[in-house]
Amino acid sequence: MLNTAARRPWTRTLLPAVALVVALAGLAGCGDEAEPAAAAEPGTVTIEDPWVRATVGSEDPTMTGAFLVVDNNTDEDVTLETASSPVAGMAQLHEMAKVDGEMVMRETDGGIVVRAGGGQLLQPGGYHVMLMKLKQELAPGDEVELTLGFSDGTTLEVTAPVKEFTEEAGHYHSPGTAEHGH
Amino acid sequence: MSGPETPAPAEPGKPGKPGKHGIGRRGFLGYVGSAVAGAAAGTAGGAAWAGDGDSESPAPVGLGTEVAPYGVHQPGVATPMPAVVEVVALDLLPDTDRDALGRLLRVWTGDVEALTTGRATPGDTEPWLAAARADLTITVGLGPGALAAAGLDAPTGFEAVPPMRHDRLQPRWSGGDLVLVVAAREGTTLAHAVRQLVRDAVPFARQRWRQSGFWNGTDADGRPMTGRNLFGQVDGTASPRPGSATFDETVWIREPPWTGATTLVVRRISMDLDTWAELTRDRQEAALGRTLDTGERLSDPGPRAHARLAHPMENAGARIVRKGANYATEDDSGLLFMSFQASVAGQFVPIQRSLDRADSLNTWTTAIGSAEFVVLPGFERGDWLGSGVLGSGTPG
Repeated sequence: MLNTAARRPWTRTLLPAVALVVALAGLAGCGDEAEPAAAAEPGTVTIEDPWVRATVGSEDPTMTGAFLVVDNNTDEDVTLETASSPVAGMAQLHEMAKVDGEMVMRETDGGIVVRAGGGQLLQPGGYHVMLMKLKQELAPGDEVELTLGFSDGTTLEVTAPVKEFTEEAGHYHSPGTAEHGH
Repeated sequence: MSGPETPAPAEPGKPGKPGKHGIGRRGFLGYVGSAVAGAAAGTAGGAAWAGDGDSESPAPVGLGTEVAPYGVHQPGVATPMPAVVEVVALDLLPDTDRDALGRLLRVWTGDVEALTTGRATPGDTEPWLAAARADLTITVGLGPGALAAAGLDAPTGFEAVPPMRHDRLQPRWSGGDLVLVVAAREGTTLAHAVRQLVRDAVPFARQRWRQSGFWNGTDADGRPMTGRNLFGQVDGTASPRPGSATFDETVWIREPPWTGATTLVVRRISMDLDTWAELTRDRQEAALGRTLDTGERLSDPGPRAHARLAHPMENAGARIVRKGANYATEDDSGLLFMSFQASVAGQFVPIQRSLDRADSLNTWTTAIGSAEFVVLPGFERGDWLGSGVLGSGTPG
């Protein structure tokens, strides 16, 4: 299926439930003629800047985080509800939260809401896709397929580069939460 | 759904400036905010930064632009040289084959899209350094080693520049399998961009050499002007103007799959400022074939004058598009010379041979580095650098 929501040819919209609305008005109002024609396609949910943290040399190579940006260019809030990847036996949407004074990582309750016309970062230290039961080592330079499911029925498939992340290992696993309780 | 301490979602439509949960992305308020802060920092003389909404903040001046990364050609070829540039050559690791080169180019494509639009690259640990409207261009090219590793046929006329009599080439400034030409309006954004690109290449390639240059293409009133090299010469007067038919004919390859590509020769030209300074002005102008104050061509330049020997009429019509940047290091000064042309063999080499044979400037200039690359065609949004050359099939 031709895919206007794609960031790249290797980014595919499997089930675009949101009608493509040709509504460029408002995107060109920045007063900068050099600005790309559109920062993101209108009327769609898009994924940008996906990446996965390499597991080479990590303390627990059976799990890692996937990070990305969700842009919701529709008129309705959408919720990122599911994630999966062929390299992971299990994938969950996680958040960081303070519980009894300590930051802990846990599965979100009901997904990650992306407001109409807004965006949401999934990044180290915040929301992220937790890839668990990894079937293989993920080395910098690899590419990983991710499938993301939204509340409106949209499913986006992206290919994310695996990148080294040099911050201290466990950065997105707060102290004391390495086991995750999963 | 979450506890009260759960990170709040980003404000819809207002990603804004760097913050706890967000990095500055496309928030126009964020752009303006940082520009004002920059202007304030430049004039406050050590005073604290002006806060947002401070009516004492000077009006922003000298704003840069965002150069869209998309198009038939990589935009950095035709954009004027901004204040600072770095040219980085990398060598592929032995395991980097055609597939791996594609993965590298896809990673770099994401980096180019992010950095040139003022966003952090995915996984950047210093996202605050990705400045918007930095006149930032990132131009990517493949050297002979990358063409070989990927099994690609070079475009017609792409060849190593043959040795010239006056060359004193040093390996540390020569060759390379890949090139990045990164140019920007200021050095911090530039250095950050280069670091991210080189860092993301680590699984595939290692830095071979890195050359820095600077250029002043703006007069005191902020108007574009042709800059000067460190001999004081107006440099680039005769180079075809971007947008002209001559420019297009000179630089762009029209041969699939390289349509929209060009070739780049990078020469590090050491300039002997001390002996040049011993010359009288008329001898300097005679050697160049141009006046020094305005760069106007002398009415009758001598047979060995640089401007005559480099002219298309002396080279069977061959032209190049030249871009220069000055360098000054602890032990050497000179010009980081970049020549763009459709064919190295058909354009750069004959001109260089003419100059090598007789150019008066050879007394004071010496090429100490040389490398040649095919600059990849441009890419459109949704595509990636090199897809048309390496094949656009889905990876894996």
